Order: sequence, then C-alpha cells, then structure tokens
Amino acid sequence: MIAEVPGSTADAELIRRSAQVPEVFAELFDRHAAALRRYVARRLGESLADDIVSDAFLAAFRRRRHYDTSHPDARPWLYGIAARLIKRHHRVEVRFYRALARTGVDEITEPYADRIDDRVAAEQSGLAAALAELPAGDREVLLLVAWADMSYEDVARALDIPTGTVRSRLHRARARTRQALGGSDPTSAREESFDG
Amino acid sequence: MDDLRSLRELRAVVPEPGQEWLVPERRRLLRRMRGRRRGLGRALLLAGVLGTATAVAVVVARPQPPITTPVGPSQAVRLDPSVVLARAADTVGRREGAGEVPRPTQWQYTKTLDKQPNRDETQTFERWMRYDGKQTAGFDEAGKPVVRDVPPDPGDDDLSPQQYDQKLRALPTDPKRLLAKVTGDRHWIDWPVEEGVPKVVEPDASRAYRVITLYLSRYGVMPPKLEAAMFRALALIPGIRIEQGIPDAAGRRGLGVWLDNGIDSPFRDYDILDPETYRYLGRHTVWLRDEYSQSGGDLMAAKGSVWTTALLTSTIVDRPGERG
Repeated sequence: MIAEVPGSTADAELIRRSAQVPEVFAELFDRHAAALRRYVARRLGESLADDIVSDAFLAAFRRRRHYDTSHPDARPWLYGIAARLIKRHHRVEVRFYRALARTGVDEITEPYADRIDDRVAAEQSGLAAALAELPAGDREVLLLVAWADMSYEDVARALDIPTGTVRSRLHRARARTRQALGGSDPTSAREESFDG
Repeated sequence: MDDLRSLRELRAVVPEPGQEWLVPERRRLLRRMRGRRRGLGRALLLAGVLGTATAVAVVVARPQPPITTPVGPSQAVRLDPSVVLARAADTVGRREGAGEVPRPTQWQYTKTLDKQPNRDETQTFERWMRYDGKQTAGFDEAGKPVVRDVPPDPGDDDLSPQQYDQKLRALPTDPKRLLAKVTGDRHWIDWPVEEGVPKVVEPDASRAYRVITLYLSRYGVMPPKLEAAMFRALALIPGIRIEQGIPDAAGRRGLGVWLDNGIDSPFRDYDILDPETYRYLGRHTVWLRDEYSQSGGDLMAAKGSVWTTALLTSTIVDRPGERG
C-alpha cells in the first residue's frame, strides 16, 4: 500500500506523481483551490468563480505532464491557467468595476455588505474606475500582485512574460491607481511599498 | 498614500471558502477527471478505473511476466474480422441471460490492472460504484473501503451503471439498426460539455467503435442477443482490424481489435477479447513511433512502448467491500 501523506511534499512532486496516479492531483486542489476561488470571486463574483476554478484545475490536470517540476510551488502555474479563463469574462469584470465606480455599490461584495469598512468604501469608486480603464494585461499583473500576493518572478511565470514586462506593466498600472486615489503625479510613481 | 494597500482592501471582504465548498468541489473535479474515452480521454484511462478517493490506496500487484517484445504491426497475425466477429456473435448469443436487474442500492464492483509504459510494476485498482451512481467506494490507506457521495455533474458524459443498463436495454438487436442508433446517439456526440475545451466531434466510425467497445466492456448486464448484435455491428464498421495474441496487463493474450481510421496516430489502441469466450479483457496501446508532448517537446513515450490494462472482475454486489 502507498498512502499519500498530505502537506509533506512540494506541489511539483504531487504533480509528478499525478502523472501515474491521477487522483493525487486532488491534493493540489486541497492546497490551492480555496485561495484561487477567493481570487477569482473578487474579480468576477461568486457565480462564475466556481466554474472557473474547476475548469482551471481540470485544464491543469490535463497539462500536468508538461509541468516544469523545477518549480516546487505550483501557484503561478495554476493562476496563469486561471488568468486565461478569467480573460474570457473580461466584459463581466469591467462591468462590475464600472458599476461600482458609477453607483458606489459593489455587486461582488454585496453578499458581505455588513462587513464593509466605510473608509475603504470611500476609495472604492476611484479604484474601480481605474481598474476598469486599465489594459487587461496591466490589470492582470496588478491584481496578481495585490490580490494573489505574487512576486515579480511568480507573475512572470504565471503569465509567461519577462520579469521586465511585469515591472513595466505594474509601474503603469500603479500610476493609474495612484492617480485615481487623487494622489501623486503618475509620472513620479515609485515602487516603495511593493513587498512581494 | 499606499495605493497597493488600498487595492488590497478592495473586496477584501470576499472570504476564502471553507470545507463546505472545498469538499463538493473536489469531488466535482475528480468526477470530471475521471473516465473519458474520447481523444482527450486516452491519457485519462487510468483515472477512469480509479475510485473517487483523495488518498489513493494502490496495491502493487505481484510482478507480471514482462512484455519484452512489443507486439507491433510487424509481428502481428492478422485475422479476418468478419469471420472472427461472426464467430464471436454466435458464441456470446448462446450465453445464459444476465440475471435480474440490480437494485439501485446495489453496487458494481470492478477490479482492474494497469501497467503504465514508464513504470515497472502493475497496479491493481478495486472500485465500487453504486448502481444508481450516487456513491463510489474505494480503499483508504488502511485498506478500509471508504464511501463517497458523487454530486451530479451535468457536463459529464459518464453514466451510472443504471443509466448504462437502461441505455443498453433500449438498443435494437438488428446489427444495422444497432450501429445506426449507436452512431447517432446524441449523448456520445454532445457530451462532455466543458468550458474552455474545444469541442471535437469524432468521425462516425471512430465514435461507433468507441461506444460499442465501451458497451462490450460493461458485459455484466448485457442480454446475450444484444451482445451478439454488438459484434455483428462492429463488423459493419469500415476499417475494423483484428490481430492475434495481443496481451493485456494480466498477461492474458487475446484477439486485439482496433480501428484503422486512416488517422496518422503515433500509437495504436487495441481492445482485447478472450479468444474463446469473447469477453472483454482490457486494452493494449503500442507506440508506433516516438511521441513528443505538444507544448514542451518532451518525449512522452518511445517507439515500442506498451501500455496495458486488464479488466479482471465486473460484477454486482450488495455492499461496498464485497467482491462477489
């Protein structure tokens, strides 16, 4: 008998083993699905999030033999697959930001409305307007950093773009969000608070 | 002002879901990973014979006699498919009829072997699925059967044993009508339905072959007349080939049936039949040339690699853990 010991192996090792024993892949789901669900729900709402998470893991499962096992952490790979699925709902995402910017009401957080912090609510409209206007690629980078806590290297791997591109996209995106928050001149944007 | 901090607070109230979400969603994923016999599904055949279990208990079987010479086209003894399939139809048509229709709460027990191309040992899988498809069972790491609920997945093309039986009982026993019915069955054309996966509809001959061999592998409840008609219908599919002496994962050599559909595939899939009883024994895939992955260019399987499975038992029992 071979028993899987949860939590003791790198993602890469699980993926490698799942090539032979597919159901080992379910452990990867246990590790990352809840956080990914939250990330997708923040962008597209709960109703789309379940299907996207399930599709992302199924797509990942089918590509598991192509996983580069020199990367122990599978998060960038999974979020990169999810990013491609999220992109298909680009209009839905933007519509939510626009609605929030226009009305100050966020349909995505409505189910948890009693927990909304007023201070945050004040900034929301401006941020949402900025997110709606960002080019999709810039928004992807910004939200992987802000909502998925990814480093430049992680984002580069997730989106399969050079680290330099991550840096420049993030720079552009943050210039817009700073501007939206009524702050500094966007051309002087620095990266002082990025801790990824 | 820290724009990133403000951004991190945006929609921060959206919670991470808990176990009440994770458990059914994990099951849904496992169900979607499981058992596809489509183009895509070839690589997932192993998933199809596994139980729905997070902790997979794998029993390593006693070593099988290694298959050293890949049984490739060059050494194969070809038989006349019309003769072989007519004999198969006569033989299975004389079989005793299947017993009573199982109750929804009974279980289908299957025991299968799997010998992957890049692995030395043969794995054994035992699995129970409730007749109505609502639960599955497998072994946990302590060797105890664990029962799990199967949530409905409307996009999945897999059926419960009960649904398979209902489908089988509705089929005509005239071979031509049977072939037409199987070929035109929307279920095998339209499903599975998956977001983000391009829809591929196989040629009629490939689909008819796939569905008939899938039905033949579920012989437990097949009425003899229908099983005979399945073989006669198989003989009507253009491109059917049969070779002798093709081994399954248990080392049993049988009649290797395959479909020459004119597609230049790096491998050949045989469905193996017992040469005397014509029972379905398993599958045998042999690579005719090196196969590389589409994205990475890695060698997936070298020419001559062999992947076999074997269906050892498929029977109805009263409860999970029983082996009939």
